[in-house]
Amino acid sequence: MSNQNHRNRYRWRILIGQIVLLIACLGIIEYLVRAEIVGSLYLSKPTQVIEEIYKLFSNGEIFHHLAVTLKEFAAGYLLSAFAGVATGLLLVLIPHAEVFFRPFLSALLAIPKVTIIPLLMLWLGIGLSHKVAIVFLFCFFTIAFNTITGIKQTAEAHLKVARVFEASKLQTVMKVILPSAAPTIFVSLRVSAATGLVGALFGEMVASKDGLGNLLVQATSLYDTAKAFAIITIVTVISVLIIAVIDLLEKRIVLKWKSS
Amino acid sequence: MEGFSIRGVSMVYGGATPTETLSDINLTIEDGEFLSILGPSGCGKSTLLEILAGLQLPTSGEVWFGGKKLKGPGIERGVVFQDPSLYPWRTVYKNVELGLEFRGVAKSERREAVQRYLDLVGLSGFEHKYPHHLSGGMKQRAGIARALANNPEVLLMDEPFGAVDHLTRLQLQDDLLNIWEAEKKTVVFVTHDVSEAVFLGDRVVLLSPRPGRINQIFQVPKHRPRKRDDIELLKIQNDIYAAIHEVKSSDNLEFTI
Repeated sequence: MSNQNHRNRYRWRILIGQIVLLIACLGIIEYLVRAEIVGSLYLSKPTQVIEEIYKLFSNGEIFHHLAVTLKEFAAGYLLSAFAGVATGLLLVLIPHAEVFFRPFLSALLAIPKVTIIPLLMLWLGIGLSHKVAIVFLFCFFTIAFNTITGIKQTAEAHLKVARVFEASKLQTVMKVILPSAAPTIFVSLRVSAATGLVGALFGEMVASKDGLGNLLVQATSLYDTAKAFAIITIVTVISVLIIAVIDLLEKRIVLKWKSS
Repeated sequence: MEGFSIRGVSMVYGGATPTETLSDINLTIEDGEFLSILGPSGCGKSTLLEILAGLQLPTSGEVWFGGKKLKGPGIERGVVFQDPSLYPWRTVYKNVELGLEFRGVAKSERREAVQRYLDLVGLSGFEHKYPHHLSGGMKQRAGIARALANNPEVLLMDEPFGAVDHLTRLQLQDDLLNIWEAEKKTVVFVTHDVSEAVFLGDRVVLLSPRPGRINQIFQVPKHRPRKRDDIELLKIQNDIYAAIHEVKSSDNLEFTI
């Protein structure tokens, strides 16, 4: 009991220390800009950034762009998740497929995806499909490769049990192979959530009519540094939220049976 | 009545230097019999069990069961694995339910069977635990319940109690005998423990290694329940140890020549 108390007190102390450090950093920046040691073109007062965030929400400007970016991300991400897992499954389950296709997949994986963005523009324009394609490319390969790794780790003994019970191929996939690959697949889903969002934003920054990336480029090209920081803050919060959702899913699906 | 009929079964694993794991095994396993298969590691006893389960096909010879030649696994033969191989992502209940689920048995019927066999192996109350919460002995109990839930005619057991501590092991042996008597299944029990093989089995088949072949079959007196210190059982144990020793010394002789 006292041990528990001790640990709680420890946790509180750490948390208070962290908050103090954060406030101190923000305070220093506030001071530097206010005292004009650093020009307001380069840095913004945290108070002004907060004001900008409030403005973005109160005049409703942000909502349209937020919706555009989230739509691009969600479509690309879900598409790559399904396609990635399906590709991984097919490559392992179809005899020789993985050996045959692996060099092609590795080559595609090795292409720095950002270099294709201009070409994608040529093929798909600068609208939704362009960004969805970018998010897809950013996520797909990681998910496919992790699925392959996860499936290969399926214990031989677990497959034997399925064979003894005369499980069909589909049952074996759905009830043995996928559940045992789930933890490995989730690792890639978490990583891809972050890179996928980066893909959507980057695509918007390169060529777009709207979206948060577009808004950010607009702000910086007008030297509206405070607004740029406001958008960066909002994007960061979104990224954290998306990963929190994936973590929650992982907890519901995987972690309850994994020994801690 | 005849359960298994093993006719001239040999197993050779290919590769650069083919190794013969089993050599010309001929054996009949009676319906309802408790048969122990005993042998040192490397004698192919697990391979023989996997052949009976239909997980492997012998390179030559054939196995018949209930008047039919074996071609693969079948629900009439339940298997209990050495490592219980429970699915860690399923609760105990869902693990035991597995075979019924694969067969598409209705949910209410499944619930009845699962509950019955969980009670039988002494795991009621642990339905909703995940395997990593269970001790080794409890995992193996769940493994037995999973095999029984499908209501097989035969239970094929591959060193099921090899990984649990000695006291738990004795308890599991007693409980297994009770289950066997209550359920009237044929049991084929693979082990490398002489006292376990004798205490459990109606007959003990002693295999000798490299390649695995039947060295001798020991008939254990029928009367049950048995006592572990029964003089007759101890005598058979001694006979088996003597037979094993003989194999060893003749092996050594071959090496020195």
